[in-house]
Amino acid sequence: MKAHAFFTIFKRELRSVVKERTILIAILIQLFIASFSSALLMGLMSVYDPEATSLSSMVNIEVGIVGETSGPLSDFLRARHARVIPFATLADAERAFYAREIAAAIFVPEEEGPVADIQLFLPESETSSTLTLMILREPLKQYENYLREQNDIHVRYRDIEGLPATTYEFQYGVIIPLLMFFPAFVTGGMVVDSISEELANRTLETLWSAPLSLSTILGAKIGSALFLAGGQCLLWSMLLRLNGIPIQNLGLVLLLAVISAAIVAVGAASIAVYFQDRERSQFVYALFILLSVSSSYFFDFSPIALLTRLATGGDWTSAAGVAAYAALLLALLTAFLSTSKRLIAAGN
Amino acid sequence: MNTILTISKREVTRLRSRFRGGSRLVVLLILAASFLIAYLAFRQGAFRGRGLYRVGVSPDVPPVCDSRFDSVTVAPSLGYSMVEAGQLDVYVDGARAIYSDEERSLYAAGALKLYLETQELARVGEEYETDRAFPLRVEIARFPVDSPSEDRETVVPSLMSPPLPFAHVISVSIYLLPIFFVSVFFISGFMDEKADRRITVLLSAPVSPFRIIVGKMLPYVLFTLISVVGITVVLRGNVLPALAIFTPVVLFTFAVYLMVPLVYRTFKDTTFISMFATTVITTYLIFPAMFSGVSDLSYISPLTLAVEMYRGQPFGLKAYLTSATSMYLVFVLSVYVGVRILNEEYLTRFRPLYKKIADAIYLTISRDHIYLSVTLLSAFLIPIVYMVQLVSLAISLNLPIRYAIVVVLLLSVVVEEIAKSVGIVVLIENNVARTARSIVGLSFLSALGFLVGEKLLLLVSVGVVSESAFSTAIFSSGMLLIPLAAHFVFTTIVCLLTKRLGVHRYPYVIAVGAVIHALYNLCVIGVFA
Repeated sequence: MKAHAFFTIFKRELRSVVKERTILIAILIQLFIASFSSALLMGLMSVYDPEATSLSSMVNIEVGIVGETSGPLSDFLRARHARVIPFATLADAERAFYAREIAAAIFVPEEEGPVADIQLFLPESETSSTLTLMILREPLKQYENYLREQNDIHVRYRDIEGLPATTYEFQYGVIIPLLMFFPAFVTGGMVVDSISEELANRTLETLWSAPLSLSTILGAKIGSALFLAGGQCLLWSMLLRLNGIPIQNLGLVLLLAVISAAIVAVGAASIAVYFQDRERSQFVYALFILLSVSSSYFFDFSPIALLTRLATGGDWTSAAGVAAYAALLLALLTAFLSTSKRLIAAGN
Repeated sequence: MNTILTISKREVTRLRSRFRGGSRLVVLLILAASFLIAYLAFRQGAFRGRGLYRVGVSPDVPPVCDSRFDSVTVAPSLGYSMVEAGQLDVYVDGARAIYSDEERSLYAAGALKLYLETQELARVGEEYETDRAFPLRVEIARFPVDSPSEDRETVVPSLMSPPLPFAHVISVSIYLLPIFFVSVFFISGFMDEKADRRITVLLSAPVSPFRIIVGKMLPYVLFTLISVVGITVVLRGNVLPALAIFTPVVLFTFAVYLMVPLVYRTFKDTTFISMFATTVITTYLIFPAMFSGVSDLSYISPLTLAVEMYRGQPFGLKAYLTSATSMYLVFVLSVYVGVRILNEEYLTRFRPLYKKIADAIYLTISRDHIYLSVTLLSAFLIPIVYMVQLVSLAISLNLPIRYAIVVVLLLSVVVEEIAKSVGIVVLIENNVARTARSIVGLSFLSALGFLVGEKLLLLVSVGVVSESAFSTAIFSSGMLLIPLAAHFVFTTIVCLLTKRLGVHRYPYVIAVGAVIHALYNLCVIGVFA
C-alpha cells in the first residue's frame, strides 16, 4: 500500500514536469552553460594562450628583424614557425609592415653591458598586437633563457615535456562537475516549487488527510526529482563520451552526483517546508546553493573535488568519500522525515 | 508620483512581513557573508578546479602550493615506485621530474612545468643580481616606428603574463549577484498579486498600470543601486562612473524579469524561465567583457567599461552608449509591453507560451496607430535581435568554424526576419491586417523602422559592427537603399505567404524567408562572385 502510494505521487510529479516542459528548459540551460563556457575558453585561449591550442602551429607569422640577422633569437623564432626576414634599417622594416609583408619587427641593437635591450614593434590594432605578442612570447622567453645560460644561471625543470593542460583542466575541473552537479541544483529548485505550490494551494493538506503519510508524499517528491537528476547526469556522461571526454569510475561518479542531488533535495525540501512560501524558500535556497558551492572550493574533501578526482581516474581515489556522503545523506533524510511534521507546524 | 510611492511602500511592507524582527538582520548578514565567500572563492580561481593532480616532492623540494595539485612529500625511493604504480602523477626529485607516459600524468607534468617555471624565476631573482637573472628587456612599441616614446613599455618576457581580464571580470561580476538575488522578490511580488487576485482589486482602482509597474520596481531598483554604491566603495572604485555603468544593467535585468511573471503562471515555469533568463543575461554581460582590450566587440557589454574603470582607464561617451543604449531600449520596450498587458484577462489566461507572446505583441500594438506601432516595434526589437545574435555567436563557436559561420548566419537571418514580421503576422491573425495592400504597406514600414533603428544604433556605437565582411552580412550595414529594398522584399514575402498559407504555417514561412535572406547576404559578402 505504502509503496503503491509512493509511486502514484512519484508518477504524478514526473507527469507534471513533462507536461510543463520544465525539464526541457532545464536541459537547455545546462547545454547553454556548458557550450558557453567552452566557447569562452576557446576564445580566451586562442587570444591569450595560443601555445595551448594548435593555433600557434597553424599561424605562420612573418617577423622582420633589424640588427641580428643570424643568431639564437632568429633560430628560436624559426623553430616557432615564424618566417624571419632581415632588414638593414628600421625604416625598411616599417615599409614592409605597411606593405603587409611582416606582422611585427624586432630591433636588436649592438650588445653593450649585461642586459640585452631589444625593441619590438607591433601593429596598432589591439587585437592583432595581442595575438602577435602572445605568439612571440615563447621564442622571446627561450632567448631570455639562452642569455641566462650565458650568465651561468641555470633554470631548472625546463626539460619537462608534458601536455598543455588548460583544456584538460577545464574539461575535468569545470565542465564535468558543472554538468554533474547542475541537475542537483535544478532538482532542489523543483522540490521547492513543488512543495510550496502544494502548500500555497492547500492541496498538501488534502493529500495528507487521505491515508498517506507526509513522509510518503515528501519522499515521492524528492524521489521523482532525483530520478530526473540521475537521468540528466547519465545523458551528460554519454554526450561527454561522444565528444571524446570519457569519465573514469563512471558508476561512482554518477552515484556521487545522485547522492549530492539527494542532499540538495532534502535541504531544499526542509527549506520549503519551513518557510512555506515560494518567495522566501527560493531565496534561501539560492543562498544555500551559492554558499555551498563557493565554500566547497576551500575543502579538499568537497563533492566537487571528489568528483573531479573520480572522473580523472587514478588508483588512489576511493569509494570511501562517496560512502561518507551516502552516510551524510542517510542522516539528513532521517532527520528531515522525522521532523517534517513539526517543521510544518512550526512554520505555521 | 504619490500613487507610485504608495505602491512602493506597499511592496516594501509586503517584503518586511516576510522577514520579521531579528531574522531580517540574520538574512542580511548571511547574504553579505555568502557574497564575500563566493567572491573570494572565484577570485582565488575556483574555476580552475581543485585536487586535479596528485604530485609528490622529495624532502628538499618545497610542497606545491596550488589548488589544482594535491602535494605530498615522500622519499625518492617511494616516490619513483608510486609514479610507476600510478599513485602519483608526477614526482619531483630535486631538479628532476618523473612522470609516466599516461595521459593524466603528461597533463599533470605540463601543468606542473608552468607552476615550477614561476617558482624558478622567483628563486633566480632572489639568488642573483637583477641584471644577470633577467638579462633580456623588450621595449614594446607600435608602428609607426617614430611613435611617441611614452606609449612604449618595457617588459621582461619571462615575467610577462597575458593581459587576461579574468580577475577583473570576476570582480565586476560580483555586482550582478545582488541583482539576481533581489529579482526573486521582484518576481514574487507579481506572482503573489496574481495568485491572490489582488491585482484585480489594484487594477480596478484608479491607478494606471504604468504606476503599478514603476511602483513595484522602484524599491528593488533602489536597493540594487545602493548595493552598486556599496560594492564600489568596498572595491575602491569611482562611485559615479559605476552608477552610470550599472544603472542600465539593473534596468535591463529588471526589464527581463518583469516579463517573466506577467507571461507565466505556475511556479516551476517561473523558476526555470527566470533561471534561463539569468543564464542568458550573464552570458551576454560576461562573454564580451572577457575580451576587453582585445576586441572592440567587447563594448557590447557594460561590464567591459567596469573592467576598464578598475584598470584605471577612462572610457568615452561613445563606448558607454554602445552598451547602454540597447539596455535602455529594452527597458523602455519591456515597461511599455508590461503596461499594455497588465490586465486581468491577460494575466489569468492559461495558454501556450507562443500564444501568450503573440497576445502580448498584439496588445502592444496600438489599434489607433497601427502603422506607427509596427514601425516602432521593429526598431525597438533590434537590441533584442543583437543580443540573440551575440549569444548564438558565443554558443556556435563550439562547432567547427566552417559550420559555426553558417549556423550564425542562418540564426541571424531567422531572428531578423521574425523581428520584422512578427507584429504584422499578429495583426493578420487577429484579422486587423486583411488586404494584401495593407500588408505590403506594413511590411515597408517595418523594414524602414528596422533599418533606421539599426543605423541609429550604429551611429552611437564604437566602430564595432562594420569591421569585417562577416559582420557586414550579419548586420546588413553598407549602403542604405539596397538594404531597405531587401528588408522590404523579405518581410513582404514572409507576411504575404503567412497570410496565404495561414498563421499556423508561420515557422515554415520564416524558414523560406530566412533562406532567401541568407542567399542575399552571401551575395553581399561576395561568396558567389
